[in-house]
Amino acid sequence: MTQQTNKLKLSAILARHETVLLLVILLEIFIFQSFGRNFLAPSNVSNIFRHSVEIGLLALVMTPVILTGGIDLSVGSMMGLCAVVFGILVKQYEMSPWLAAMLAISLGAIGGSVNAFLITKMNLPPLIVTLGTFSLFRGLAEALTKGSEAYSGFPEGFLSIGNGSFLGLPSQLWIFFAVAILMGLLVHQTTWGRSLRAIGYASEGARYAGISVRLNTGMAYVIAGAIAGLAAVILVARLGEARANVGIGYELLAITAVVLGGTSIFGGAGSIYGTLLGYIAVAILNNGLGRITAHQIFDQPIASVSRELSGILTGLLLLVALAAGVILKSLASRRARRQSLAVKPTTI
Amino acid sequence: MKRIPWILTCAAALLITGCNSKSTGGNANGKLTIGLLPKSKGNQYFVTCEKGARLAAADLGAELLFDGPTNTDPAKQNEIVENWISLGVDVIAAACENKDGISTALKKAQDAGIKVVTYDADAQTDARSFFVNQATAQGIGEQLMDTAASLTGGEGEFAIITATLTAANTNEWIKYIQERQAAKYPNMKLVEIKPSDDQKDKAQQETTNLISAYPNLKAVIAVCSPAVPGAAEAVKQAGKAGSIKVLGLGLPSENKAYVKEGVTQAVVLWKVEDLGYLTVQVAAAVAQGKLQAGATEFDAGKLGKFEIKGDNVLLGKPFVFTKENIDDFDF
Repeated sequence: MTQQTNKLKLSAILARHETVLLLVILLEIFIFQSFGRNFLAPSNVSNIFRHSVEIGLLALVMTPVILTGGIDLSVGSMMGLCAVVFGILVKQYEMSPWLAAMLAISLGAIGGSVNAFLITKMNLPPLIVTLGTFSLFRGLAEALTKGSEAYSGFPEGFLSIGNGSFLGLPSQLWIFFAVAILMGLLVHQTTWGRSLRAIGYASEGARYAGISVRLNTGMAYVIAGAIAGLAAVILVARLGEARANVGIGYELLAITAVVLGGTSIFGGAGSIYGTLLGYIAVAILNNGLGRITAHQIFDQPIASVSRELSGILTGLLLLVALAAGVILKSLASRRARRQSLAVKPTTI
Repeated sequence: MKRIPWILTCAAALLITGCNSKSTGGNANGKLTIGLLPKSKGNQYFVTCEKGARLAAADLGAELLFDGPTNTDPAKQNEIVENWISLGVDVIAAACENKDGISTALKKAQDAGIKVVTYDADAQTDARSFFVNQATAQGIGEQLMDTAASLTGGEGEFAIITATLTAANTNEWIKYIQERQAAKYPNMKLVEIKPSDDQKDKAQQETTNLISAYPNLKAVIAVCSPAVPGAAEAVKQAGKAGSIKVLGLGLPSENKAYVKEGVTQAVVLWKVEDLGYLTVQVAAAVAQGKLQAGATEFDAGKLGKFEIKGDNVLLGKPFVFTKENIDDFDF
C-alpha cells in the first residue's frame, strides 16, 4: 500500500504542470546552448530578460484577472497610452521623469478602474469591455501624438532603468522581482487571492459565501492597469523613445505565458509560479531562435526564418501544453475511478 | 509555497550557468560577420535588398545575418541589434524604422566595438559611421512630382498614400513632393495624405475612400512599395483606370501586371538589389578599416565607384520604370 502511494506521489509530481514546464525550459536551454551561438553568454542571458520583462510584468498581473475567470485585452494598448502621456509630461511639460513615471502608473490604474467599473458595476463581459478599451486606449495614444509624434532625449539616469545594470543584472529585472514577489504574496497568501479563485470557480457561490465579488474582481483590473503603466515606463527607458505603438500585441504574449503556466482560462485555478515558468519558457524561446544562425544546423542561413519560427513554436508550445494538461487530468481521474472501484468491495 | 524552491533553483541554475560560460566572441570560422537589419522582413523590397546583400557577402567571403521585425512592434529592431551584440557580429547595417529608438541600440553596439552603418533609412548621425543613401530625398520627391505632373498635364487634384505617418524617410520625400508642387505646378493640389501601414490591403481601402471622397482626383502617388499595387487595385476596381493616374515608389516586379494593363503609369525606384550589394560592401569596408571618414569615393567591386557626400554613400539618381522598359528588370 505504501509502495503504491509512493508511486502515486511520484507520478503526481511528474504530472504536475509546473514540472512539465520546468522540463520544457531545461530542454529549450539545452537545445539553444547546443545549436545557438553564445546562447548562455552573460550578455545574452541579460538580453533574454531585458527584452521580455514587460511581457513578464503583464503576465504577472494578468494571472489574478484570469483567476477570476476574466481577461484583460487592454494592457498592451494601455502601455501605448501611458508611454505617450509619460513622453508628453517629460518633454512638453518638462516634468521630472520619476514624477512622470508615477503619473503614468496612476494613469494605468485609472484606465484599469474604467475596465473594473464596466465589468463589475455594469456587469459587462470582460472580453468585450477590454476589447473596447483595447481600441480606446491605443486610439487615445495615437490621437495624442497625431499618429506621428515620438518623444525622445530622456535623461541618462532614467534610461539606465532600461539599459543599465544593477548588481550584475539588468536594472529592470529587480523591479520585476519586486512585482513578482508582491504578486506571489497577494495571490497565494491573502484572502484576496483566495477570493479570486472562489470567484473564478463559482462567482455566485463566492457571493453567497460573503465575498465581495465586485471589489475583489475590480482590484485585479486596477492592478493590471497600474502595472501596464509601469511596463510602459520601463519599455520607454529601454527604447529611449515614447511612441503610440509601443506594447502592440503584448497582451496576447502575456496571456500565452499565463495559460502556458497552467492557469485555467475559465478561472478558479492557477498560480503565479506557473506564470513565471510560462513567461520564462516564452522568453527563452523568442530569444533562442534568433541565435541559431547560418551553418549551424544545416549549411544554410537559418537566421532568416527563425523569427517566423518563433511564432509557430510559441503557438505549438501553448497548444501542446494545454492538450497535455487535459490528457493528464483525464488519465488521473480514470486512475482515481479505477482505484475507488478496486477499493470498494473490501469496505463493504 | 512548496513550489518556490523549484523556481529559485531554476532561476539560480540559469543565472549561474549564464555567468560561468564564457562568451566565445565573434564566430568560430574567423569570417567577417555582417548583421543586415531590414525595417520589416516580409517586405519584397527588403527581400530584394537581401538578394543583393548575399551576392556581396559571397563576393567578400563574409557571413551575412539577415533578420528583422515581422510585425510593427517598435521594440523589435532594438532587440535584434542587442542580440547581435551578444552574438558578436563585426558590423551591423541597419534600415531604421524609428530613428531615435534604434539609435539607443546602435550606440550600444558601437560601445561594444561593433561598427555600424545604416542604409535605406538613417539613424541619428552619431549612431553610425556611414549612411548608404539610396537616393536623396530631394531627388525622389522631385522625380515623383515631375512624373505625376507630366502624366496629368500639370493640372488637378492628387493624393498621397504613405507607409506610416511616423516613418522619417517617407515624410521627407513627401516634403519635397509638396515643395516641388508649390514651386513648379501651381495648378495641382494635394488633397490628402493617407497611411497604409505598409500593407497592400490598407492602401487599397484608403484609395477607394479617396476616390469616393474626391470625384475630381487625377492622380495617386504611393510612396511605399506595398501601396502602389494597392492603389492600382482600388483604381482598377473603381473603373477609373487611366483617368486616375497611379504612380509611386515600388518594385517593378510587383507592379508589372498593373503597368501592362495601363492602370499604373509609372514606377519610380532605385535599383534595390544594388542597394543591398552596396550596403554590404560599405559595411565590410568600414569593419576592415578600408573606408574611413573623409573619403569622397568608394569602390564597390563589380558595381564600380560611388560618390560619397559627407558621410553619405550615394547610390545615384532614381529610375522611372514604365510600360516600355519594365520588362528589362526582374526584381
